[in-house]
Amino acid sequence: MTMHRAQYLDLLPAYSIGALDGDELRQLEEHLAAGCEECERQLALWRRDVEALASSVPAVEPSDAVRRAVVGRVEGRATGADGAATFWRLAAVIAVGVLGALAWLHLDLRGRVESLAIERQVTVERLAALESDLGSARNELARLRRVSGIVASPGKRLVALASLEQPAGGAFGQALVDPVGRQAVFYAYGLRPTEQGKTYQLWYIAAGEPVSAGTFEVDSEGQAMIVVEEIVPPETIDAWAVTVEPQGGVPQPTGPMVLKS
Amino acid sequence: MPLNEREPDDLMLVGGVAAGDEAAFRELFDRYASTVLGFLIQLLRDRAQAEEVLQETFLQVWEQADRYRPSGASPRGWLLMLARSRALDRVRSSRSRQGRENRVATEASGARVAQPEGPRRLEDDERRAVVSRALETLPDEQRHCIELAFFRGLTHREIAESLEQPLGTVKSRILLGMKKLRQSLAEPSRV
Repeated sequence: MTMHRAQYLDLLPAYSIGALDGDELRQLEEHLAAGCEECERQLALWRRDVEALASSVPAVEPSDAVRRAVVGRVEGRATGADGAATFWRLAAVIAVGVLGALAWLHLDLRGRVESLAIERQVTVERLAALESDLGSARNELARLRRVSGIVASPGKRLVALASLEQPAGGAFGQALVDPVGRQAVFYAYGLRPTEQGKTYQLWYIAAGEPVSAGTFEVDSEGQAMIVVEEIVPPETIDAWAVTVEPQGGVPQPTGPMVLKS
Repeated sequence: MPLNEREPDDLMLVGGVAAGDEAAFRELFDRYASTVLGFLIQLLRDRAQAEEVLQETFLQVWEQADRYRPSGASPRGWLLMLARSRALDRVRSSRSRQGRENRVATEASGARVAQPEGPRRLEDDERRAVVSRALETLPDEQRHCIELAFFRGLTHREIAESLEQPLGTVKSRILLGMKKLRQSLAEPSRV
């Protein structure tokens, strides 16, 4: 089966660290031998990364004996070079130097362009994350301002909600109601996390009818806070309650009641 | 990762070695023998064998420098890959003889960690720190697969057998790990 270029490109990282084997190795080597410039270019870049991988190992100084042995053997061999060999070796110097300088410049520029593209992508992703964080922070600030307005309201009323669990659990709730702004902030304490697919839903009962005041989840300490806006005039509210409902909430309470004023 | 700033200079050294210049060879040896030896000890877990392969590698460089092609790798990378190839030949032959996994790692016992001087030492230390930090950003299972391939010479299938993991899992760990490594190396602020 013939592979597409993208598949060959995906084989290059493993090839560069010697992990390829079998048909994949054979097919990639045939593809490279056929002269795919893009794969050659990418392979050279992967080899740069692999060189970096090899550089993660601490260097170790060879002993003087090893150095003497290597250098000595070379010095012994160098004396045998004849004129023609020296000429060709000098030609090789020039060729390697010129090719090297060009290849170095080419790869350097290519590598830098690729690095910049990656950096740009990372920056874009970070910017998106920061914008998202900023949006969340703004929402939180607006919510805290509303809470602050309710707490500072001169006519605020405190409504206590008690646990209906038998035997009585440690959960309770408090609704701080601002009659002027027609808003309230509700705090829950000591509630257990709901089961999968369930949520807590806050209600107030006015003229005998339950009205949804929003759904909420508790944190790891069983606490939650929600702000309720545009409530009916507080003097018409008979009671506050919390029930357990399906995820997303329901228009009328259906589940067990866990807190009630 | 930026290219080795000594690279143009290295290219001239390799060119000199190709022309039979002993001074260029000595300079290349002094410049990279400690890097190559450290790498070989990591691969072979045996200093004596690593020094033998170091000698073989540099003698091969002396004889074959005119075969070096700059488009394929930097001189430093070329040296390291020549050394790796020779080392893994030994590992494979040793593995087939006696089961290398049972060997107690000598971990560079008695080795003197090289202390090059001045700017070169700083550059090497910085390079090592950058790569180490980049490796640390990889999930353990990805890093482990990459290390088994690169430092132990195991192929996809051998790693899958060794770790008792599906072949596809090993392949994707290596691919994802290498891509993440490249991204970390290209991102100076994070590594």
